[in-house]
Amino acid sequence: MIDILQVLVLGLALGGVYALMASGLTLIFGVMRIVNLAHPIMILTGAFVSYWLFTLYGIDPILSMPVAALVLFVIGLVLYKLVFAREAASAKYSEMTVLLTFALAMSFDGLLGALFSNTQRVTTPSYGTQAIFLGDLFIPTAQLYAGIASFVIIGGLMLFLRYTRFGYAIRATTQNRAAAQLMGVNVEFVSLVTFGIGLALAGAAGSLVSFIFSFFPAKHWEWIAILMSLVVLGGMGKLMGTIVAALLLSVIAAFVGTYAGSTWSTMTFFLALFVMLLVRPQGLFGDRIEEA
Amino acid sequence: MPELLEVSDVVAGYGRGPAILNGISLTVRPGQVQCIIGPNGAGKSTLMKAIAGLLPVRSGEIRFGGERIDGLRPDQILRKGICFVPQERALFPKMTVRENLRMGGYTLRDEALLERRTEAVLEQFPILRERAHQHAGTMSGGQQQMLAMARTLIVEPQIVMLDEPSLGLAPQIVQQMFEIMHMLRNRGMTILLVEQNAIAGLKHSDWGTVLDLGRTLFEGPAPEVLVDPRIQELYLGRSAAAAA
Repeated sequence: MIDILQVLVLGLALGGVYALMASGLTLIFGVMRIVNLAHPIMILTGAFVSYWLFTLYGIDPILSMPVAALVLFVIGLVLYKLVFAREAASAKYSEMTVLLTFALAMSFDGLLGALFSNTQRVTTPSYGTQAIFLGDLFIPTAQLYAGIASFVIIGGLMLFLRYTRFGYAIRATTQNRAAAQLMGVNVEFVSLVTFGIGLALAGAAGSLVSFIFSFFPAKHWEWIAILMSLVVLGGMGKLMGTIVAALLLSVIAAFVGTYAGSTWSTMTFFLALFVMLLVRPQGLFGDRIEEA
Repeated sequence: MPELLEVSDVVAGYGRGPAILNGISLTVRPGQVQCIIGPNGAGKSTLMKAIAGLLPVRSGEIRFGGERIDGLRPDQILRKGICFVPQERALFPKMTVRENLRMGGYTLRDEALLERRTEAVLEQFPILRERAHQHAGTMSGGQQQMLAMARTLIVEPQIVMLDEPSLGLAPQIVQQMFEIMHMLRNRGMTILLVEQNAIAGLKHSDWGTVLDLGRTLFEGPAPEVLVDPRIQELYLGRSAAAAA
């Protein structure tokens, strides 16, 4: 019994971080139909921000989350203006963004590799190697803190989307872009800022990643498929769906990893994706696909 | 009477496709219900999209209160005071009725005013009040149309453009739509109405404008347009020719 609880808690904590990693991706897809293959490398960029702030100045990675988020927010605004805004009118926009973001992923991968080399790194705050024991339950503090921080940010994001004026604008643009325009929303501006917010979420996730995983620039390739599977499972652009998918899959992966070996745990995401596409292609929270 | 909206020699079309509006001109006078009729492909909806800023104007100009508005974005045109209710109704299916109404007042910066007007609309439309917390996408077509039209009350624009509000609705519901339309007019809004059902549209309007092939064919007081022999020719002649 305690084993099951143990795996469940670890799965949920990691699931929270995955949910945060995928939240920006799904937000960006929802508003702009951009399939951002560069999302994982942006997470790693955030990880490097926190890594260096810790290594050079001893700043705790959880405290440097806002810095990483801000840096990535600015990168997001610049990239959107430089790369995406001019293509927005294209009929093949979504398809083009796949190529564009793939190119961005490779460029940032190369850039980070050239700057910091592809050695494995990890931020090592004091709690990085500690653990909390609740009876027989063993919880590594790093995972616990990362999970809690993720849930706090996701909760904040949801409140922001539900109750603020800009949150209304983002949701409206996601559901019906033309209608949002007719309500007076400047959808181009909303797209710009949402891209910034999406990358800021990636940056914040990166700060957490920097102390729960060892990382190096090329590691983002591993994550692309996992994060994409979460977005598809959640229903393409549905934030709640993506979060539920992240938590569910991480818990399942944790059980698979524990009882079948860790080589199988990553497979969980793709197997779930495969099954979902067969039985419910619109995803957990998606609408029936109506357009031809 | 001074013109509120003036469309002059406007040419517009979709993407790189052929022009749908071929130098159309018309004027909209304040305080009226003006119905635009014409056969399929005459450019009725296209005209509304061009005015709303959803479609770029290739040449010609559109003036609102004397000021040029062609080339502005849809959100800027709404802020000037022109509200467009398209055929698809422009609702947010996964937002509640109340959230949809609040979204209608997106341009109002004053939260208290927005809340007051939202309440006023819910007061006026008990069905919407009943369904205030239901997702808009789950309502019937008639209720959705009611929501889309009632929502314009929140911004109190000078012009409301309705693109086939009766589309796909049962006859008794259609009557209700026209009543709501008149209510909007009585609140001081000028109505520009596109109707496929020319007779019903003209019966509920003050002024009729007849389009064909992207131009204004003729116009006049609605009762006169209704009995104009050219109407018969335009609709019946065309369909008779198609049938032959």
